[in-house]
Amino acid sequence: MLRIKSLSHRYENENLVIDDLSLEVNKGEIISILGPSGCGKTSLLRIVAGLEKPLKGEIKIDKKIVFNQTINILPEKRNLGLVVEDKALFPHLSVYKNIIFGIRKNKQQKQLAEEFLNLFKIEHLKDKFPHEISSGEQQRTALARAIITNPDILLLDEPFSALDKELKNELHEETKKIFIEKNLTVLLVTHDESESSFFSNRVFKFKDQKLLEI
Amino acid sequence: MNYLYLRTFSFWKILPTLTFVVFVSPLVIVLLSLTGDYSDNWTHLYNFVLGDYITNSIFLVLGVGLISLIIGTSSAWIITKYDFFGRRILEWALILPLAIPPYILAYTFTGLFDDYGSANEFIRWMFNLDSSFVFFPNVRNIFGAIIVFAFTLYPYIYLISRAAFLNQSKTLTDTGRILGLGGYRIFINLGLPMIRPAVIAGLMLVIMETLSDFGAVDHFAIQTFTTGIFRTWYGMYDLHTAMQLASLLLLFIIVFLVLERSSRMNAAYNSPVSNANSSSSEKLNGSKSFLCFIGCFIPIFIGFILPILELSRWAFTYNTGFFNESFFIQAKNTFLIALMASIVCTVIAFTINFSVRHTKVIFLKRINPFLSVGYGVPGLILAVGIVQMFTYLDKGIFVGFDFVLTGSLFGLLLAYLIKSYALSNSTIESGFERLSNKLDDSARVLKSSGWNLLLRVHFPLMKTSLLTSILLVMSEVVKELPATLILRPFNFDTLAVSTYIYAAEERMFEAASPAIAIVVIGLIPIIILTRMIKDSKDTPYLK
Repeated sequence: MLRIKSLSHRYENENLVIDDLSLEVNKGEIISILGPSGCGKTSLLRIVAGLEKPLKGEIKIDKKIVFNQTINILPEKRNLGLVVEDKALFPHLSVYKNIIFGIRKNKQQKQLAEEFLNLFKIEHLKDKFPHEISSGEQQRTALARAIITNPDILLLDEPFSALDKELKNELHEETKKIFIEKNLTVLLVTHDESESSFFSNRVFKFKDQKLLEI
Repeated sequence: MNYLYLRTFSFWKILPTLTFVVFVSPLVIVLLSLTGDYSDNWTHLYNFVLGDYITNSIFLVLGVGLISLIIGTSSAWIITKYDFFGRRILEWALILPLAIPPYILAYTFTGLFDDYGSANEFIRWMFNLDSSFVFFPNVRNIFGAIIVFAFTLYPYIYLISRAAFLNQSKTLTDTGRILGLGGYRIFINLGLPMIRPAVIAGLMLVIMETLSDFGAVDHFAIQTFTTGIFRTWYGMYDLHTAMQLASLLLLFIIVFLVLERSSRMNAAYNSPVSNANSSSSEKLNGSKSFLCFIGCFIPIFIGFILPILELSRWAFTYNTGFFNESFFIQAKNTFLIALMASIVCTVIAFTINFSVRHTKVIFLKRINPFLSVGYGVPGLILAVGIVQMFTYLDKGIFVGFDFVLTGSLFGLLLAYLIKSYALSNSTIESGFERLSNKLDDSARVLKSSGWNLLLRVHFPLMKTSLLTSILLVMSEVVKELPATLILRPFNFDTLAVSTYIYAAEERMFEAASPAIAIVVIGLIPIIILTRMIKDSKDTPYLK
């Protein structure tokens, strides 16, 4: 599903954060990437999403080249899902409207939205605004919004790190079930080893600007 | 402009580039006139009046700078450091004079202090003096102009100094006290030197406004660059020489613009402490409290209360058709052109700031500040440049359309856009800064970009900033005089133009209604600013 080949990246006037990195992720696989802050794991996620342009390398999603020396497909055309630590919910939209933001208006839209509201147990919050709901409920909304678009790959950047332990455990169980049910390909970036081992088929660690499978 | 920029053209890149070209062209055209031929009129100006323009302008700038510096910094210091009777009201009331354009204060000053003005009449009535007795000196001179400018423009320095004083550490002033410095010496030796870059930024704004003015200096018959440009054009009918004169003034303005920009940057870097350690005020009682009250009240009285009283007296005592038909026509014209300019300006600023954020092209980020330089350029220079640019276009591109651009509303609209873009840009830029980039990232991954992202995410979240921008630009446009005077289409009078014409004909009482309307509209940004003052410790970017 995802194939990264010889990827390198640096920020302006800085050293390489990613150096000749390669990675292959199969359909339905959940991959975790571990590493301390600033090691390059979020950069890798942003590069896959198309939000950051790498120095060189090649990225293929579902056998289609999304980046190489001549091609750079924009994020809106890569069919991905993204959930970040601070959720980035649209504050002016209700939970319902946040969830349907990325899907086309059609007859199935409402039905699909209801399904995901139920799946993430937030149907009672659909008319509420992000500031009116709890942190855990915000994270459920963000996950629902990302998954409802049926993305080829779901990119998760420390999605549970702002939650307390109890809530985190509860969400871990539920989301893993959904990932498996929907046969999602997931790239999870975290600094929590227990989280990575709970979710993942394979775990990688950043070392010397490259990924090392552990 | 890098290779990638050229390779991938899109609306988001074309709009800022095109706006840059349109905004800068009139100024370039004015400056290019320096390379052309110099006529006999120029020789006449050079030999007989250019010296007066320069000395008068320098004298005016020095006088206005010094007085507004004293009023602005001392009132800001008193308001920030002391708690005294009336402070809460004076804190925001000190910016009220910003609602009065200098030319309106000039008109009311002559109405008040001329030999038979209301102030002299009042003194004669009060002390039962002879009708030939004159108490107040003549204000129709450069000293009167200095007072007029200083009392309408000091709020620029007050606002910027107050914000800087608020961020000053109390520890520093406490240390000064332990070392034996009194309140006044702490202000002179510690407070003021530490906020020097901020004060210079405010001072540059005051100087640019003074050099840009036409209405007040024209009313007081002072020969400056702006009156010279106007007379060369409308008296000698020599646009080319007027442009050459405008170029000289523009060069001066560019120097002050550069100084203002660099001082503003230094002001940010020099902020000595965080807000957490900022000053708290010292409670004053008795005579000290009264003195502080009087010290802060006088600028408000001269710069706002006195002109309002005089305008009201004109309007109500001499009730010469306060709401007559022509007033409503002028008010309608003013409102419509101001609304049009403010909406177009806000849309352009919103779209360009979105382009900068969305495309992340460095070239766009670099040209955006240049789009704001128009705020410092006198309306008269813009008018000269726009007329020349439109003449070139009418003769070169729109041949056969009978001067479709020259003398149309387009010129006026363009002048307002160039002059007010900085107001819109600063409001919208700060609005965008408050929006997390992660919202954009999420939206883009959810297949929303370009117009979709702009309209579905940014527009609803930026409504307050957009409305603020519209109001700020409207109030600026309503006050603008010289550009309006020159660029308005035939028979298109606005409130500012009508005030000017009445005052020029010494029909002061009839000038009251449009002048009051201008002041009332000018109060809108003041209300916005006072709200900002209550919460923010940052300097509100004024112009």
